[in-house]
Amino acid sequence: MTRWLLLRLLWALVTLFGITVVTFVVLDRAPVDRAELEAEARAQNGALTDLASRDAAILRLRVNYGLVDPTTLAPLPVWRRYANWLDNALALRFAGPGEDPAAFWRRLGRALPVTLLLGSLALLVAFGLGVPLGAWAGTRAGSRGDRLLSHGTFVLAGVPEFLLATLLLLAFGGAWLQWLPSSGLHSRDAAAWPWWQRQLDLAWHLVLPVAVLATGPLVMVARFVRDAVARAAAAPFAANLAALGLEPAVVRRRLLRNGLAPVATLVGVLLPVLVGGSVLVERVFALDGLGQLAFAAVQQQDQAMVMAIVVLMAVVTLLAMVLSDLLHAVFDPRVRLAR
Amino acid sequence: MKRWRSGWLRWAAVLFVTTGLLAPFLANDVPLVARIGGTWRFPAVADCFGVPTAGPGDLSWKQWWSRLSPDGDDFAWMPPWPYGPQETDPERRAAPPSWSHPLGNDDTGRDVLARIVHGAGTAVRIGGAAVLLAGAVGTLLGLLAGRRRGVVDFLVLRLLEVFLCFPSLLFVLFATAFFGTSSGALVLVLASLLWTGFTRVVRGELLSLRERDFVLVARGLGVGEWRLVLRHLLPQLRSQIGVTAAFAFAAAVIAESTLTFLGLGPQAPSSWGAMLQQGKQMAPLGAWHLWLFPALAIVLVVGGCHTIADRLRNRPA
Repeated sequence: MTRWLLLRLLWALVTLFGITVVTFVVLDRAPVDRAELEAEARAQNGALTDLASRDAAILRLRVNYGLVDPTTLAPLPVWRRYANWLDNALALRFAGPGEDPAAFWRRLGRALPVTLLLGSLALLVAFGLGVPLGAWAGTRAGSRGDRLLSHGTFVLAGVPEFLLATLLLLAFGGAWLQWLPSSGLHSRDAAAWPWWQRQLDLAWHLVLPVAVLATGPLVMVARFVRDAVARAAAAPFAANLAALGLEPAVVRRRLLRNGLAPVATLVGVLLPVLVGGSVLVERVFALDGLGQLAFAAVQQQDQAMVMAIVVLMAVVTLLAMVLSDLLHAVFDPRVRLAR
Repeated sequence: MKRWRSGWLRWAAVLFVTTGLLAPFLANDVPLVARIGGTWRFPAVADCFGVPTAGPGDLSWKQWWSRLSPDGDDFAWMPPWPYGPQETDPERRAAPPSWSHPLGNDDTGRDVLARIVHGAGTAVRIGGAAVLLAGAVGTLLGLLAGRRRGVVDFLVLRLLEVFLCFPSLLFVLFATAFFGTSSGALVLVLASLLWTGFTRVVRGELLSLRERDFVLVARGLGVGEWRLVLRHLLPQLRSQIGVTAAFAFAAAVIAESTLTFLGLGPQAPSSWGAMLQQGKQMAPLGAWHLWLFPALAIVLVVGGCHTIADRLRNRPA
């Protein structure tokens, strides 16, 4: 078991390395770099009017951001910059050269709780609704309720997140019914309210984003549980139990125990879905989480921030995958963690 | 394969793909064929390659066409739906559906039906190219990996794991921001995410098929390694690959429209995602037709792909 865990973690580390390499190389394909963008922004504010001073400013910024060799001023090849980044990242210095690390971490630290809150609530909703629904349908496979649920999940699976967000926004957030707030996490003057009212306000603002984020995972969980339980119900042991004269309720409970064990493996599959969804949901509902931060960083060609966010999300995903395999083995004694 | 070949779904898919591919010839404000003073011109064909052709004289093609006298020597053959996706009509800003424009007009007076048709073109071109590329690369890697356990298999599995842990939307987001906004770049980025599905399916199936007796028989008859894989094993994976391709196409359409919804991605003349964004902004003003029709188009195409995949899967190969 320990040996299995160590090996798994080792391979997760290798995968993480691969992810950083791919991301860094893709980021490097940018047609303009950060220095050019910043110089352009300054030029639009009236500074750097002549070309010579502009070029000098770009060069200064490039040296500052570690894009060129400070002595020869030649552009650094991508592998040298990756090596520099890796060297810093191994010491957990994720802020790019020429940046204030404290401000960098503060930006990350402010965004992280929002995304964590959204993601964990969505997971909670997905499992809290999906498992009972799937179990209910699975023990009645083929019945009218089961077919209704499978048609329902099929339709929901065909609605992309951005479309669902738009439809919900139009329905409840403005155009038709003005029941729910359409953006942000707090009302404008919420800071002056008592504590409990602020929490209610937060929950009120979270309804639509969490609904959008949870729908995809909910469909996946409900279908997965339904199929697993239905498969257990069709297995010979289920007929055996019924033949022994056990009450249907008891048989159902045994089926559930059997069918629910693989659900733990779903966490690893769901996390990339949630991460991708949170980028969109935060964008559409104007929530200042990691997704919004990544979006802004991409627009400013802020490589250091994009890399930090990708590493963070990849680490969480990889750990969740290892954890879900472990949980599967704990819940289902038939699964052996080989090697 | 049989069940979906004979169903109505097949005709719907064929209709969608042909509509998409022939969009510039189906809905356009330039004629397919025009004869002006004895010379033949083909503006819609040029439009198909993204080259706008200037109309005759100072007129636009549409104005020229409307002034054409039936008994003159000049002649024009307009597309069946004579409105272009970018053709504005200031008189009909945000006009609701009517007999002359069944899906209405948008806030600059462009015909919604023409934009939906051209949006299908964008979806078919980008989604189709991405799925073809991903399918070719993914199937090849799956064949290489599933042929026998060894170094290649191990390396492909590691690569697969890297791409499976990627938050895909984030990847598409920054890749398009950094690669630029051409549709070729988007196809590459989508393909680089979609190949994993093909590789996983092909490798997994190959590993189980390899243990079957007919493989042993074929080997005993002296069938070569690659001939065995290509002629005896690969054809059995057809429906599995079809299922993966249908899902991949749906995912590509979703990714493309999500990007244009967010205002990123290729600056195609019309895309369902961009139309939906516009509809979302116009909805509070009462223009329901601007969000309903692109939303329907997306749901129908994605749902259709899922249905095709479902039918293929329920059918043993």
